[in-house]
Amino acid sequence: MSLAAGPGRGGGADTQLPDELALVVEKQVAYIQSLDKRRDELEYHLTEHLRISGVYWGLTALHLLRHPDALPRDGVLDFVFSCLRPNGGFGAAPGHDAHMLYTVSAVQILAMTGGFEELETRFPNGKMRIAKFIADLQQPNGTFAGDEWGETDTRFLYGALNALSLLRLLHSQRTDEPPLINVSAATAYIKACQNFDGGFGVAPGRESHSGQVFTCLAALSIAGELDSYLGEEGKDRLGAWLSERQLPSGGLNGRPEKLVDSCYSWWVGSSLAMIGRFHWIDQKKLTRFILQCQDPEQGGFADRPGDMVDVFHTVFALTGLSFAGYPELDEVDPA
Amino acid sequence: MPKYADDPTWADIVPLPTDEGGPNPLAAIAYSDDYSETMSYLRAVMAAKEHSPRVLDLTEDLIDMNPAHYTVWLYRAETLFALHSDLRAELEWLNETALAHQKNYQIWHHRNLIVDRLCGEEQGVVDEEGLWKAECEFVEQMFERDAKNYHVWSYRQWLVRRFGLWGPVELEFTERMLARDLRNNSAWNHRWFVVNGRAEMEGDGGLGVEDPEVRAREVKFAMEAVAKTPQNQSPWNYLRGIVRKTGMSLGHLKGFAEQYASLKEPDEVRSSFALDLLAEVYVEEKKAKEAGEVLDLLATRYDPIRKHYWQYRKGLLGVEGAAAA
Ligand SMILES: [Zn+2]
Repeated sequence: MSLAAGPGRGGGADTQLPDELALVVEKQVAYIQSLDKRRDELEYHLTEHLRISGVYWGLTALHLLRHPDALPRDGVLDFVFSCLRPNGGFGAAPGHDAHMLYTVSAVQILAMTGGFEELETRFPNGKMRIAKFIADLQQPNGTFAGDEWGETDTRFLYGALNALSLLRLLHSQRTDEPPLINVSAATAYIKACQNFDGGFGVAPGRESHSGQVFTCLAALSIAGELDSYLGEEGKDRLGAWLSERQLPSGGLNGRPEKLVDSCYSWWVGSSLAMIGRFHWIDQKKLTRFILQCQDPEQGGFADRPGDMVDVFHTVFALTGLSFAGYPELDEVDPA
Repeated sequence: MPKYADDPTWADIVPLPTDEGGPNPLAAIAYSDDYSETMSYLRAVMAAKEHSPRVLDLTEDLIDMNPAHYTVWLYRAETLFALHSDLRAELEWLNETALAHQKNYQIWHHRNLIVDRLCGEEQGVVDEEGLWKAECEFVEQMFERDAKNYHVWSYRQWLVRRFGLWGPVELEFTERMLARDLRNNSAWNHRWFVVNGRAEMEGDGGLGVEDPEVRAREVKFAMEAVAKTPQNQSPWNYLRGIVRKTGMSLGHLKGFAEQYASLKEPDEVRSSFALDLLAEVYVEEKKAKEAGEVLDLLATRYDPIRKHYWQYRKGLLGVEGAAAA
């Protein structure tokens, strides 16, 4: 799965009138499929450090497009297992160090393709070993490191909860066993990341950012504390900040005074959906902005009209369209 | 042209090409690239757990080509520590690398490790003040190129906490940053952090905006910023943050908000944020009718893209016992 940009640009042919903006489903599917055949490009190798996440994004896009089988399942699983390290974590590609982010991507792929049985066959007790790798990265203050080097980030915390939940190994999913991680310490850390403006940052004190709002809300949601922590008043306040991310072009940005970007359709959109306030933004304008980021000739979405398309923006643009109720797309689960 | 295969320094190493994807005719083409060749030497030294000066050269070469590869950074740090290398020289090299690769965040994590190690290892020997001053200066240089770089701001906060820089020097830094761009939300966030971080995170004294003097100073600071840029959400958010944290009544801000938006002059609204605040003031005063009118202005004229949000707010007025038309 190539993470290289291009070949096309969002917006494509200039002749396209706004009224004719429509999702080109077949071309989008073909675009994702083509990503696996671009190994002759230097950028394919330069993005090796993200490879397994690229596979996850591509697969998610295909599920949304209702073509879940457009990538060969066996090939995907072979690749995933080739990234597994003896310590139970996954690297981004074969030979790479295990890291939380890629372990989460691997678990997400296994969940999406129903690959847990193969995991157990190839790697006995695999689910528990992955869970142990994740649990060992929890720090005394509740947060999670990405790897043995100790960098922490709320993304890792959310990833840990998400992966354990997909593995069905959270304490709430198996109450008769001792817990693998300290969930209440994790959520206490998340709460410490909430800022004076109502948003959340990557660590306590860090500027609010829609990407971090998403990871914090999703973590609270998986832990079952979203409603009790925020309450209606907290949701209103956060919803106000999130809906303020929509600019007159219809697109969404990540923080005040920054450019709009199609990938925030996911970070902002799913956050608003989790707190039941997606309808506070203008969905028609958002749909139109996202479709302007599409390359109607060769498929793919860019961050903004006129830029090169890539798989990351493609999947998150599609989720935005799905949230906004675009037909021909499957519904997404916000967390 | 292979760089390493013909170099006698590397003659003892059998490069380890990637096995990704198995046999693939297209992959062979890529191996002629410098990058793939260099990576294959890194894989080989990593497999042999070699920590030597040439590994530093190799990782430097790779980072120049692709600074986003996290494994390369980790192996470089491991090698530096194993060799007890000169960490100041590493910081110098990082300066150039960071300026060349603005979007990269591994650089900042690496820098963090190095500075921490330097203070830990040479405790008492190292001139800590000289070190943090140089670090702060370099960070400011980075902000000349991108004043909102999230990773660089994270690093700045780390410096503040690591070296206890909660004083006026850091406040002046936020003022310099905001003088350049009052709409820099990252700088506003940093100001909040410097003013309140000690009380909120360190728990070792300081009241932040809960100290009446500090509160007055910060309210004034934000109000002056609004005066220059009325339609700038950052200082408005900052003001609301103070109100929320200190429990100060919104009524204190009514006259201020009315300078930028008033129901008496609905055509002269200079700030949608002022309208928003005014609506809340009216709610606090139990004037639901006026609040509704302000919210209508937002929904129809001054922020129509969020019409559903303003309508929701108006709907809440009904609970207050007023007629929400
Ligand atoms: Zn983006």
